[in-house]
Amino acid sequence: MRKASPKKAPARAADPALQSLFDVHEATLPNGLQVRLLENHLAPVVSLYTFFKVGSRNERPGITGISHLFEHMMFNGAKKYGPKMFDKTLESNGGSSNAYTSHDMTVYYDDFASDALETVLDLESDRMRSLRISDAMLASEREVVKEERRVRTDNDIGGLMDEELGTLVYKAHAYRWPIIGWMADIDAITREDCQAYFRTYYAPNNAVLYIAGDIDPKKTLALVRRYYGDIPRGPVPAAVVNAEPEQRGERRSVIRHPAQSPAVMIGYRGPAARDEDTLALDVAQYVLTKGEGSRLTRSLVYDQKLAVSVGLDWSWRIDPGTVLFFLELKPDSEPQKVEAALYAELEKLARDGITERELQKALNNLRSDHLRELGTNNGRAHALGNYEALLGDWRHVLTLPSAYAAITSDQVKAAAAKYLVPERRSVVTLLPAPTEA
Amino acid sequence: MASRKSRPSKSSAPRRAAKAPASSRKAGTSRKPAAPSRPSAASRALTFPTLHDSVTSSGLKVVAAERGPLPMVSMRLVLRAGSANDPADKHGLADFTARLLRRGTRRMDASAIDEAVEFVGASLGVGVGEDNLSIAITTPAEHFAQMLGIIGQLVREPVFPESEVADARERALAQFANDLDEPSVIADRAMVRALWGDHPYGHDVGGSARSVRAFTRDDVVAYHRERIGPKVALLVVVGAVDPRRVADAAEEAFAGWTGGPEERRVIPPLARVAQAGRVVVVDKPDQTQSQVRLGGPGYRLGHEDYFPSTAMNVALGGGFTSRLMSEVRVNRGLTYGIGSWFDAMSADGIFAVSTFTKTESTREIIDVSLGEIAKMRTGGIKPEELRDAQAYMGGLYPLRTETNESIASSIADMRLNGLGDDWVLRFRERLGAVTPKQVAAVAKKYCFAEAPAVVVLGKADAVKKQLKHLGPITVVPASEYE
Repeated sequence: MRKASPKKAPARAADPALQSLFDVHEATLPNGLQVRLLENHLAPVVSLYTFFKVGSRNERPGITGISHLFEHMMFNGAKKYGPKMFDKTLESNGGSSNAYTSHDMTVYYDDFASDALETVLDLESDRMRSLRISDAMLASEREVVKEERRVRTDNDIGGLMDEELGTLVYKAHAYRWPIIGWMADIDAITREDCQAYFRTYYAPNNAVLYIAGDIDPKKTLALVRRYYGDIPRGPVPAAVVNAEPEQRGERRSVIRHPAQSPAVMIGYRGPAARDEDTLALDVAQYVLTKGEGSRLTRSLVYDQKLAVSVGLDWSWRIDPGTVLFFLELKPDSEPQKVEAALYAELEKLARDGITERELQKALNNLRSDHLRELGTNNGRAHALGNYEALLGDWRHVLTLPSAYAAITSDQVKAAAAKYLVPERRSVVTLLPAPTEA
Repeated sequence: MASRKSRPSKSSAPRRAAKAPASSRKAGTSRKPAAPSRPSAASRALTFPTLHDSVTSSGLKVVAAERGPLPMVSMRLVLRAGSANDPADKHGLADFTARLLRRGTRRMDASAIDEAVEFVGASLGVGVGEDNLSIAITTPAEHFAQMLGIIGQLVREPVFPESEVADARERALAQFANDLDEPSVIADRAMVRALWGDHPYGHDVGGSARSVRAFTRDDVVAYHRERIGPKVALLVVVGAVDPRRVADAAEEAFAGWTGGPEERRVIPPLARVAQAGRVVVVDKPDQTQSQVRLGGPGYRLGHEDYFPSTAMNVALGGGFTSRLMSEVRVNRGLTYGIGSWFDAMSADGIFAVSTFTKTESTREIIDVSLGEIAKMRTGGIKPEELRDAQAYMGGLYPLRTETNESIASSIADMRLNGLGDDWVLRFRERLGAVTPKQVAAVAKKYCFAEAPAVVVLGKADAVKKQLKHLGPITVVPASEYE
């Protein structure tokens, strides 16, 4: 899928400041589990990430939210370490754990004292090998997830609007439904659904392990082989079909909800992460909203005083994603007026492009943010996994700064002209409604 | 993104679960139980950079610490000018003033400041807490001196243009209105008031719509003149830069800086939790979920109860295996997040529990939580539970030494609160020395020996009738906290 970009190829050299920090050891076990190890002895701690190539993208109507509910279930007991034992064993050995689910992947991580490494591998391989899903645990966890949905979506303006926007932007693709799932689906998911999910998507050949920190790579790889080596390979998961039809005009939706102010969320259909336009859109994102002096913040918040804040989220996804704008308004704001002001800025970008100074500023900030992301073991392990999952290779950690440096202002202008246009736009407006007592 | 225990972002985009959990807790720390003979990671010495002290000719204390390998520098100027210094009728003035510092100086207007910082890939943040006002910049190392110069300008010669003051007021008022749509924000605000009452810590750092509406440029100028100066400030610089260059650059940036108080204002301790034994119901009729807060007295920064209390709190409401998490979330499915924490400030502190549940189970979640806290108060902690808590925090404590920002923050804490320069290095040892007896003593003291203040934000109609016999109930509209 990746488009070749010969003119940029020579520029994609590894960043010298990063090269020395990223001596990554790679291996693939016979069962298909991929392993990436990165040594760093600055502090006696280690981060371990497990990326499973499954997210809400792999779901179907009727069981939406199963990826996320399942993520919760992974903490509820396996064959060797039963219910509550995962967290108990990890914490009492000086570690902590969490996980997240996105549209594209499900990601687990542990931060821990380096002498707990073997214990953590035992815990993680136990649940990959032989998770136990009981009806009682599923019933209880289902209620937890429903509370999570209430706090993130049903009682949260941003959550409500985001959920609505997904259904506007996507008609056929699984990105249409919220990651957390529809409430009725959360209620309907069965233990059998979970077990089928586990067999298909949690097999070692569908996972990549990243370990960064105070480790000896050779000994660590031997331990990984010992703990994970006997987990059987699983079936190859079915490919996700992207049946999304072409968008033929702007789509709009209105939500009426008790609120102090109106709000506007706008999504433009963007490219897939691996498309070369992705990096040009990253630069556009930085020019538009990174920092107080960015175009939209300066224009909409400070000069025209139309918005309280303006956010832009251009998040990479495996299939074509969304360039998302969020406008936090004032109680007396007129949403149409703010929209018009935003569109004028986007038209200007598509028409006139950006200045060389704006380009340089964006590149400086992309590099700073990249370096900061890599300041911790956790950040490094996550970055390796994230780039590998979305771009196909962890080495993008090293080459991204030079890939960005090769972007031209013409490319940014062309990307804006291609993607930030009315025909690719969906708009959700939230209008304050009287409170229903 | 949906996650096991993290806060949502505005979008569901795949972003890392880096934000505080819904049950936002102050993370803990510690060390392994008395370890067997093999050297354990938790007992291995931490790497903490050497601190280099200097003082500028204007009297500003400077601490520099050199640290690689990334070519970045993090710096922060911390001033004893937090919201506890707000004049009684001008709540929020410290925060309001701090936001305006970057909106224009004698030499640069707001756009020029933004451009100078942001062009090089640095980022500037201004933050206000109860005790402190902080200005922080993280920058590529080669620009550190220029960035320090900008911090110097912000504190020395802000001009507070009239139009910027008016615009900031408008933005703040809109933000106060919009905050009413954030259930957890309003619940937290109600809790602050219920705990601290008229104490200088008893108002939201940002003040309220009523107070901010009346702010004038003169107020801001006066706050800057009276509260911001070198005698109540500390500059910390951590990163890939030679400490001698830090001292020189600090002299250049801050020479001749005058003004502000001679010493920091002394804040009295809290006499009594304002709404102890009482229930405040904040009415927000559209809610399908109640936000619940329980709180009582705690201790000040640097207090001797810190380590036993910290260990106790891990077991009660800290990690994922804590008693509260186990009983409320895992066993009963009542919530997605629950946590307890001690919030220690320079003058005093509090102990609190934060959670949320569907409207129908509001009373149940309060009763189960209070029950667990009472059990801790009367029964203390088992030795193995303490050992687990110590191992948990001890194993994770080194994470706090991973970034320039976290080290700068630790240095500021150590120096401003007299914790001693060995605070980070000896933390795990001190926590490891805590005994079950000490934990029992602090549990008796802090686990709601006196009935706590209770705040519930939700649908008052449905909630109020569930709350009988918890204490006198006051129902207030959410708009009370705008």
